[in-house]
Amino acid sequence: MKFLGLVLKSARRSKRRTALTVLSVAIAVFLFASLRAVLDGFNAGVEGSSSTRIVTQRSTSLFFEMPISHGEAIKSTAGVQDVTWANWFGGVYKDPQNFFAQYAIEPESYLRMYPELLLSPDEKRAFLEDRTGCIVGDGLARNYGFKIGDKITLQVGIPNYGTRDFDFTVRGIYKSGGAPVDNQSMFFHWKYADERSTQKGLAGWYIAVIANPDQAAQVAAAIDRKFANSPFETKTDTERAFQSSFVGMFGNINLLLGSIALAVVITTLFVAGNTMAMSVRERTMEIAVMRTLGFQSATIFLLIAGEGLLMALGGGIVGALLAWLLVNPRVFPTGGFIPEISVNTTNVAIGIGLSAVIGIVAGLIPATMASRLKIVDALRRVA
Amino acid sequence: MGLIASYNLRSMVVRKWTAAMTAGGIAMVVAVFVMTLAIAQGFRSTLVASGSPQNAIVLRKGANAESLSGVARADVPLIESLPQVARTADGRPLASPELVVAIALPRLTDNQPANVQVRGVGSRAFEIRDTLKVVEGRRFTPGSREINVGRLAVNRFKGLTLGSDVKFGSTTWKVVGIFTADDASFESEIWGDIDLMAPAFQRGGYQSITVKLVDPTTFDSFKAAVEGDPRLYLQPQRERDYYFAQSVAMTTLIRVFGSFVTLILAIGAVFGAMNTMYAAVAYRTREIGTLRALGFSRSRIVTAFIAESTMLAIAGGVIGCALALPVHGLSTGTTNFSSFSEVAFKFRITPLLLVEGLAFAALMGAAGGLLPALRAARIPVARALREI
Repeated sequence: MKFLGLVLKSARRSKRRTALTVLSVAIAVFLFASLRAVLDGFNAGVEGSSSTRIVTQRSTSLFFEMPISHGEAIKSTAGVQDVTWANWFGGVYKDPQNFFAQYAIEPESYLRMYPELLLSPDEKRAFLEDRTGCIVGDGLARNYGFKIGDKITLQVGIPNYGTRDFDFTVRGIYKSGGAPVDNQSMFFHWKYADERSTQKGLAGWYIAVIANPDQAAQVAAAIDRKFANSPFETKTDTERAFQSSFVGMFGNINLLLGSIALAVVITTLFVAGNTMAMSVRERTMEIAVMRTLGFQSATIFLLIAGEGLLMALGGGIVGALLAWLLVNPRVFPTGGFIPEISVNTTNVAIGIGLSAVIGIVAGLIPATMASRLKIVDALRRVA
Repeated sequence: MGLIASYNLRSMVVRKWTAAMTAGGIAMVVAVFVMTLAIAQGFRSTLVASGSPQNAIVLRKGANAESLSGVARADVPLIESLPQVARTADGRPLASPELVVAIALPRLTDNQPANVQVRGVGSRAFEIRDTLKVVEGRRFTPGSREINVGRLAVNRFKGLTLGSDVKFGSTTWKVVGIFTADDASFESEIWGDIDLMAPAFQRGGYQSITVKLVDPTTFDSFKAAVEGDPRLYLQPQRERDYYFAQSVAMTTLIRVFGSFVTLILAIGAVFGAMNTMYAAVAYRTREIGTLRALGFSRSRIVTAFIAESTMLAIAGGVIGCALALPVHGLSTGTTNFSSFSEVAFKFRITPLLLVEGLAFAALMGAAGGLLPALRAARIPVARALREI
């Protein structure tokens, strides 16, 4: 600790160089924390999935529907406690660019099974009572300025729903209450969409609540057996697997973001390591004098390494805080099929941790260089 | 100029480690830049390659994707009889009524289900898309439950090899041929007879009609003829325009994301270059003084240092391009959100992209060298010479 003053003094020796290094580490940590937040955003659906919910869809693919009678059959399967269903609506709000998810749901059972969609009792009642009512996520409401009582008109996207526009009234704005829930979607009454569709009585997918998460595989198999060899064969999986398939749609995001993050770290190591090496070279004479005065080479090592660590940590804190302040939905609204992105405290902590690693690695070679300096040679050398 | 240039070059050699680290930082930025744009480029060219200038695709008015369109069976003969539609030697129209549906199949890599596009096509579809080549087996026989699978789909999904039975749409289909399509999105698809596909998927009508025109220039009169017919609520587009539009959302997303990340990363690398150049100027104060005393002007000194920094950055850029090059041709896949099915594509690094990467590197070098160069030029000659 007693050497902290000395370390700080050396860092102040070239203020500009220190500032540039701190800033470049800050930028790296900013990028790293933001990339982690992007990844978290994509995985939010998977993280938020419940182990007690299983999803049944047509075996062909999600784009094929099933008769509504499947609901009763699923409910009567042993181990199933509750069932609801939903449909993809695929409507267009004013312009095809304004893409957001709209689901036609069986409202009572759906809200019962998804308690993480938080609505006030008044909003909930108003939504259940209004056949053309809808609820929207707080993220969606913020992006489009939707308020309770607003009218939303959607043009039909999927030919099955006819050609006439659908009018909705916003009856509630649901919040996620901190849970990783998609808050950029719109939900409305399945009946409203069904009564105007050309093929009636169809559900896109069923969600069932099961009594025991350990039995998910058995219950799923039992459900699929009921519809085997019918024209509407099903494939039932855990909600987690169902959500993962959406993340997988984008391709290998983990690999892409991972390689970018690696490049960020390497770039910063080059920059920070270079700076440290330069400053050691500049101080060759000084270090030789310190060694002559009796400083151990281990102390010199720690001094130089400590300087690197300090600069990197300073940059890390700046970068992580910047990311935390800037990268959130209020500053960067995402939309459409890109989930909401927000840097959380975990991302901040990982970012600062990363800066420490950068500092240590970048300081290693210059510190070793300094500690191994031969006093006689160094004193003889003219800088 | 020769003296200054060789002076800069030799100075770089003297400080080889510092120079290498700086160039290394810039190399990483350029590598990220080139790789992300290679994804955008690859996705776009895969979709654009699907369109032929001589073809037109007819969709329902207002529909911007096949999956959202609908074409009645009765519309097909009306389109086929138009004089702008090319014909085979025996006089049959080159038009293919089509239907696309997405089916879920497990990927080879992770066994996760992903959506594959199945396309029901008319019997002359292979004559209309003339880039399609059956490379293994044969074409499907109309009227039988046979399918042809694109090469990229075979390599990406389980159970699509020649001779396998694939179960979808409540029946079983036999793979009788594998085709290539110059990497176009068709190569990620499964093709079969539309007259069997439509009932298998419980679809009454078609979604689109693709026609080969007599000549690309007849498109306007073809469009006028279709739109002028009161019986048809349809709209033709050039096939190439249609597929280009399909690629816009994804390409823009990747480009914006890639530029955002590389721009921020570039600022970090520029800071690194600035550090290096400031140090270079400080070490060489006396040399700069000598040069000035010999009669080199301030502007020569400024350009010399900016040139040195730019050269260093371009060297980094070359390394970055070399680092990125191996991904060229690697195949990957993502979902085309207009069809909600997976399209395989290859990273594509074009010469232009490499030039852009080098230009970007040069820009970083110039930006990093500017302030240190100005500082170098401002050093008073007398003081510089006195410095040890």
